[in-house]
Amino acid sequence: MLDGMTQQDLADRVGVTRQTILSIERGRYNPSVGLALLLAEVFDVPVEVLFEIDRENSHD
Amino acid sequence: MTEGSTKRSLPALSGLVAGGLVILGVALFMFVHKGLLVVAGLGTFGPGILRELGWLNDQDEFQREAAHRAGYHAYLVGGFVALLVYAALEVWEAQLQASSEWVLLVLVALWLAWLFSSLMKFWGARRTASTVLLVFGSFWAVFAIATIITEAGSVDAGDAILGVLASLGIVGPFFLLAWTAHRMPRVTGILLLVVSVVFVMAFKPGAGTQRWSTTLLTDALLIVPLAASGIALLREGAVGGQDM
Repeated sequence: MLDGMTQQDLADRVGVTRQTILSIERGRYNPSVGLALLLAEVFDVPVEVLFEIDRENSHD
Repeated sequence: MTEGSTKRSLPALSGLVAGGLVILGVALFMFVHKGLLVVAGLGTFGPGILRELGWLNDQDEFQREAAHRAGYHAYLVGGFVALLVYAALEVWEAQLQASSEWVLLVLVALWLAWLFSSLMKFWGARRTASTVLLVFGSFWAVFAIATIITEAGSVDAGDAILGVLASLGIVGPFFLLAWTAHRMPRVTGILLLVVSVVFVMAFKPGAGTQRWSTTLLTDALLIVPLAASGIALLREGAVGGQDM
């Protein structure tokens, strides 16, 4: 269902900019709980499938 | 997910209006009346003030976080520089000429900290450093070419060619460093810090006839972007692993 989805498509669906999606993918930004839940909803998976704790860099 | 997308979002209307006000304000300052610089101030700080008041909602959560982070960095750097300037003027009041350039120095420190922090958040260290170096090299190239053109009538062809070659000798390494910033961040970071030290030695305050405030402003604009890029690349090299 999500094959061929671009970062811009995903950004439009959750109401953020493509830059935000890119920054989440590259680990430069930890999204809010609300945005994480929206992303999980789009992919139809539990939120913990998309995100996991990075204990080494958790201060970021 | 694919990165490629033909659909590119246009800059937000607020950004265009703000940018337009900054350009207009600077033009009015230069050609009409110095007091009209306040128009540029409206463009620079207006959108942020409106956002904090809740009257402008044009950013998503990542952009808001980046803006708050950059604002805090600008507060730290700008506040520290302001305190140093105040103390220096109090202690060496007789030696240091009072000048509006001191205020400009604080504004430049604040603005550079905000800009650099924002770029780092959006682009990361390598792309930020690479862009800073490209902009730096380009400005230097334009400056060098303009100097050669304005002096074209007073020097012979041989000197003009030597001038072009000398300019390329200075500009070339910056473009080369912009390229290596992506591939060898640690080495590039060290080289940038070396270049910064060379510039500090070349533009030392109190060495020439320039006022301290003028020299420090030149130093801030020339050296801070290079030194900050160097430190960011070294930090990235340490966190991100080995150079290639």
